[in-house]
Amino acid sequence: MNRDSRFERRLGQILTVGSVGSTLLLAAGLAIVLVTRSSAGPGDVTLRAGLIVLMATPMMRVLASTVEYVTRRDWFFVLVTLIVLLELAASVIGALRG
Amino acid sequence: MPLPEITPSLVAFIFIAGALTGALGGLLGIGGGVFLVPFLTLVLKIPIIYAIPISLTTVIATSTAVSSQTAGRQLINLRLGMILETATAAGGLVGAIVSMFLSDAALYIAFGFVTAGSALGMISRLDKRNVILDATVLPGRFGGRFHEDESGGEVVYRVKRLPLAMIASFVAGNVSTTLGMGGGIIKVPVLNAWCGVPLRAAAATSAFMIGVTASVGAILKFGEGLLVPMLAAPAVLGVRLGSAVGMRTAAQASARWLKTLMAVVLFVVSALMFAEGALMLTRAS
Repeated sequence: MNRDSRFERRLGQILTVGSVGSTLLLAAGLAIVLVTRSSAGPGDVTLRAGLIVLMATPMMRVLASTVEYVTRRDWFFVLVTLIVLLELAASVIGALRG
Repeated sequence: MPLPEITPSLVAFIFIAGALTGALGGLLGIGGGVFLVPFLTLVLKIPIIYAIPISLTTVIATSTAVSSQTAGRQLINLRLGMILETATAAGGLVGAIVSMFLSDAALYIAFGFVTAGSALGMISRLDKRNVILDATVLPGRFGGRFHEDESGGEVVYRVKRLPLAMIASFVAGNVSTTLGMGGGIIKVPVLNAWCGVPLRAAAATSAFMIGVTASVGAILKFGEGLLVPMLAAPAVLGVRLGSAVGMRTAAQASARWLKTLMAVVLFVVSALMFAEGALMLTRAS
């Protein structure tokens, strides 16, 4: 189905952005830390940003899926993806409190 | 539990560890931390509670990278993946919480069991062929169809025993966040052998789902302060490099030989992790 493969490709794009973005941030952060010889400061911030982008990418992909299923009025899969988002949100809340 | 001092050489060693395990994983088609956690803990002496989150980030990285490449070919069964993700994410949450109460020795021993089990499973499926169904089969709600290059035809399949797949995904999610693996080592065989999903679709769908599970675990551990950026970064970069190389080489190797090699490596890893766990128990008492 054409619509399905366009959807799939869109998800692939999100994954690519997350993949490339996190790799660049992690590489840059590592370089900064090694060059400045300090494990705190801009290097650490960049590293953390890279990790956050990495960890957020699957979530973004699920969110994009929810949006797609809403436009298709496929309420079953809207529910399914919302459940997954809730579980991901639970992990974020758990992390913020911990 | 003390962190080793983060020197440039440790960073370099972690990068190499990532590259080696990534290459091995890419070659054998096993993603995830099955090889990385043992390497980080047994060779680089990084405490297992720090090694597991590092491994989880490499799992996310691999899942994201692989899926970004497979997307669009309709190998990934999106519907199946999404519904199984509800189970696997739940398993991930439970696993991350459970792992907080497990001792290091218990983690090593559990790791040993899972890898041994996977090796056994692999051996029992050494000669299993990928069955291609009749093209007039209706995929049903969760089934799929994709074009297979080898036969030049279209593969259509139905998904059977969805509840079983859900349970397996839940268990895989638990294992994933507790031990720092992807969990595909449980999911792919179940999907392929018992749920009627062709191997490549099962592998692609599993790799797709794994990102969600691993991120649940990674996020929680990041919040607990167990995910050390300076250690995770070289691991992720190394694994990305290694798996790219490994996957390219895999295309040229024979399946049976690879599976045998995989089983052997898994047995060795299992034995080493068991040994470490046992050693820890004797030291404690």
